[in-house]
Amino acid sequence: MSDFQLYLTNTAGLSSVASFWVFVASNGTKRFNSIALKVANGVMLLGFIALTVAIITRGIEAQRFPLANLYESLLWFAWATMGGFLYLCRSYGIQQLGWLASLLAATMFLYGSWLPQSQHDISPLVPALVSYWRQIHVPPLIVSYAMFFLAGLSGLLNLWQSGRLRSLAFCVGTIIAASSAIGLGTFSKVDTQWLQLLFVASSVLGPFLAFRSLSVQDAAIEQSKAAKKNAEMYDDVGYRCVAIGFPLLTIGIITGGLWANHAWGSYWSWDPKESMALVTWLSYAAYIHLRIQRDLSAEKLSIVSVIGLLLTLLTYLGFNSLGFGGLHSYGKFK
Amino acid sequence: MAALVSQDDKSKDLESGVNASAAVLPTKNGRVAGKDQLSPFASVKLSVFLMCLMALTILIGAGVPQESQGGQEKVFEVFGNQTAEWLVRLGISDIYHSPWFLALTATLTLNMIVVSFQRVFPKLKLLKNSLPFFRGQDILKLPVHHCLTLAKADEQTALISDLSVRLTKMGYKVKAEGSKLKGEYGVVGRLAPSVTHVGLLTLLLGITITSWTGFTGFQPVLLDEKLNFSDSQHSKLWIGSLPKWQVRVDATRRENYPGGQAKQWFSNLSVVDDKGKVLHQGEISVNNPLTYESVDIYQSSWGLAKVAVSFNGHVRQLDLRPMGEKYACFLPLDQDTVLIMSLASEGKSLRVFAKRREWQAPKLISEIQSGKSIKLGDVDVVFEKAIPVTGLQYKRDPGLPITYLAFGIIMIGVLLAAVPHRHVWVAFEESRLYIGGTSRKAKVGFERSIENLVEKLKGSFTLQEQLDQGEQANV
Repeated sequence: MSDFQLYLTNTAGLSSVASFWVFVASNGTKRFNSIALKVANGVMLLGFIALTVAIITRGIEAQRFPLANLYESLLWFAWATMGGFLYLCRSYGIQQLGWLASLLAATMFLYGSWLPQSQHDISPLVPALVSYWRQIHVPPLIVSYAMFFLAGLSGLLNLWQSGRLRSLAFCVGTIIAASSAIGLGTFSKVDTQWLQLLFVASSVLGPFLAFRSLSVQDAAIEQSKAAKKNAEMYDDVGYRCVAIGFPLLTIGIITGGLWANHAWGSYWSWDPKESMALVTWLSYAAYIHLRIQRDLSAEKLSIVSVIGLLLTLLTYLGFNSLGFGGLHSYGKFK
Repeated sequence: MAALVSQDDKSKDLESGVNASAAVLPTKNGRVAGKDQLSPFASVKLSVFLMCLMALTILIGAGVPQESQGGQEKVFEVFGNQTAEWLVRLGISDIYHSPWFLALTATLTLNMIVVSFQRVFPKLKLLKNSLPFFRGQDILKLPVHHCLTLAKADEQTALISDLSVRLTKMGYKVKAEGSKLKGEYGVVGRLAPSVTHVGLLTLLLGITITSWTGFTGFQPVLLDEKLNFSDSQHSKLWIGSLPKWQVRVDATRRENYPGGQAKQWFSNLSVVDDKGKVLHQGEISVNNPLTYESVDIYQSSWGLAKVAVSFNGHVRQLDLRPMGEKYACFLPLDQDTVLIMSLASEGKSLRVFAKRREWQAPKLISEIQSGKSIKLGDVDVVFEKAIPVTGLQYKRDPGLPITYLAFGIIMIGVLLAAVPHRHVWVAFEESRLYIGGTSRKAKVGFERSIENLVEKLKGSFTLQEQLDQGEQANV
C-alpha cells in the first residue's frame, strides 16, 4: 500500500471521526447549530472524496478491482455509508442521522485498521476470485448492506423521535452486544461458541423486549409536533434506504448465483454465507410486505429494521468472525 | 410470496381523501376479487409468516454444519456426540433435505402462486383505470395539500398553464380539464409486484425443468485418465440419460504467483467417444468451463494425487495427502520409523524425511530433483514424477435459459419497486388554487417537491397560502 493511499484512507477515517463529533456538538448549540451541521457535512464530504480516491488508487496499484478481501470490503462499506448519508441528507435535509452514519463509518475504519497487515497489503487473488464477476457481484451487496445499516439507524431515530425511549435502549443495547460479539470474534481468542450465543441471545432478546416496551412512551416527546414530524421523516428515510438496498441485495444474490454457475456449475449450494444473504433477503421482503400492507406501526417497523440490521451484520461480518465456514471464506484471516 | 407492492396505491394512499378514494376504487366492478373471494392461501400475512419461518429455517441451516457439505463427521466434530446425535435425528444437520423444509418450500410456493394469481396479477387491470379530476374539497383531504388564494383573477389561465408545464418538467404525465389538472408519476413502479412475481414463477419453472431433466456431478481425474459420467458421483437423473462420451485429461497444471500462491488451475481436455475418437478439445480453468452437447465441465479443484518413485528400479505410485500447502506420503519402514516424502508443487524437488518415535520432529535426509536419484542405504531411490489430479465438476441444466430469464425479470421487478408512484391533483375554484397529492414511497421527498412547487408559484403569481381549518383554530 502506497503512502499516498494510506494518507487518503487516514484522511477519510479521521473525517468520519471529526464529523461525528461536530454532529454531536451541533446539538449543544442552537445559535451555531446550522453552521456546525454544515461543517459536519463538509467534513463528511471531504472524507467521502478522499475515500473515493483511495479506493481508485488502490485499484490502480493492485491492477485489479479493489474489492477482494475483508479490509477492502470495509473501505467500500464505509464509502457507501458516507455516500448514502450524503444522498439522504441532500434529499431529506436530515441531520441527526449524520452522527450515527459517521459513527458507523468510523467504526468500520477502526475495525479495518485493526486487521492484520496482510489484509492491508495488496495480495494476489485466489483462483476462484480471478473473474470479472467479482466486480459485478460484490459491490451491490456491500452497498445494500450499508443501506440496510442506514435503515436500521433511521429506525433508532424513529423510536427516539416517537418517544419510545425504552424500546430504543433495548435496540441500542442489542446492537452494541451483537457488535461486541463480532469484535471479540475477530480480534480475541474467546471461544466462538460463547460469542455465537451472545450474538443470538442478544438479537432475540433485545428486539423482543423492544416490542414489549413500545407501549411506554415519553410524554413530553409524545406531545411535540416537531418530534412527530421528525419520526415520520425517519420512518420514510428508513423505507427509502430499504427500497434502495433491497434491489441491490437481490442483484447481488442473483449475480452471485450466476458467478457460481459460471465457476462451479451450480448457482446455489446452500453455502452458509449465501444462505445468510437469503435470510436477509427474506427478512427485508417480509419488511416490505408488512409495510405495504400497513399491518405494523412505524415504531414496530423500526424494530423490524433493527432486526434487519442485525441480520445484515451477521451476514456481512458475523459468519466469518463467529466461526462459521463455507465457500465465502475470503474475508477470513485467522 | 406476496406482492412487493401488492395493494394498489389508490386503496390506501387516498385513505384521507374519503370522497376521492370512493371515486377511484374500482373494486366493485368484479374485476378485482374482494377479500371474501380470496383463497386462504392468498393471505399476505401467511406470506410474511412463511417467509419468517423460511428465514429461521435457513438461519439454522447456515449455523449448523450440513451433512451435504461437510459430511456427518463435521457435525460430530463441532457439537460432540450427544448433541450431534440429536441434530442428526431431528434432521437439522441435513435441514435442506428434511421433510420440514420441503413442506415449508411447498407451502410457500403454493402461497406465492395463489397470491400471484389472486392478488398481484388482477391489479394490472387497474392500470387501465384513469383517476378522476378532483374538486378542491377532495384535494384538501389528501395527505399533502395546499390551498392558495389568487389575488389577480386574470392570472388563472396562465397559472394553470404554468403548473401544467412545471409538473410535466417534474416527470408527471399531466392531463387537464378546464381549471383542473391531474398528474401521475412513476406508473412503471406499479408494475413492480407483477413483474417480480412473474420472475419468481418463471424461476420456479426453470428450477423444475432443471431438477427433472438436468444432472450435476463431480469426479477427481488423474492425468491421462478419463471422466466417465456413469461411474462418477452424480445427482439422480429423472428424465433423459447421461452422456456416453468421456472426457480425457490430456494435461493439467497449476499457475502460481511469484510468491508461490496458486493463481490459476488449468486442464486440457479431450472429449472422446467409446472408440477413443476425439470429438472436441479445449482448455478449462476456474471460471472458464468447457461446453460440449449442453454439458458444462468446470475446473473445480486441483492437487497432486500421487508421486511416482522407483526403488531399485521398481516403480511405485505413492498416494499423496494434502498437508497445508504441501503434499506428503508416509512409508512405515519398521515399528518405530517412518519415511516421509514431501512435495510442494510440480517441478519442485521431493524432500525425504525420516521420523522415529523418539524424535520430536522429522529429520531431513535428502532432496531429490525430478528424474534424479539418491542412495538410501542399499536402496537406489529415483523421483520419477508427480502425478496431478484435477477436480472436474460437470452439469447439464436444460432449465438454465429459463432460470436466467427469471433472474433478469426479478431484477427488473425489484428495480421498478424503487420507483415511487405519485399522484398530483390541481383545482382552481373561486379564486382559490387547490394542489395536493399522494405518494406511497419517499413521502417526505414528495412533500418537499410540492412545497418547492408552491414556493415557485408564489414567486411567479399573486398567490397567498390559506391555512387549514385546524391550523386556523390553533391560530
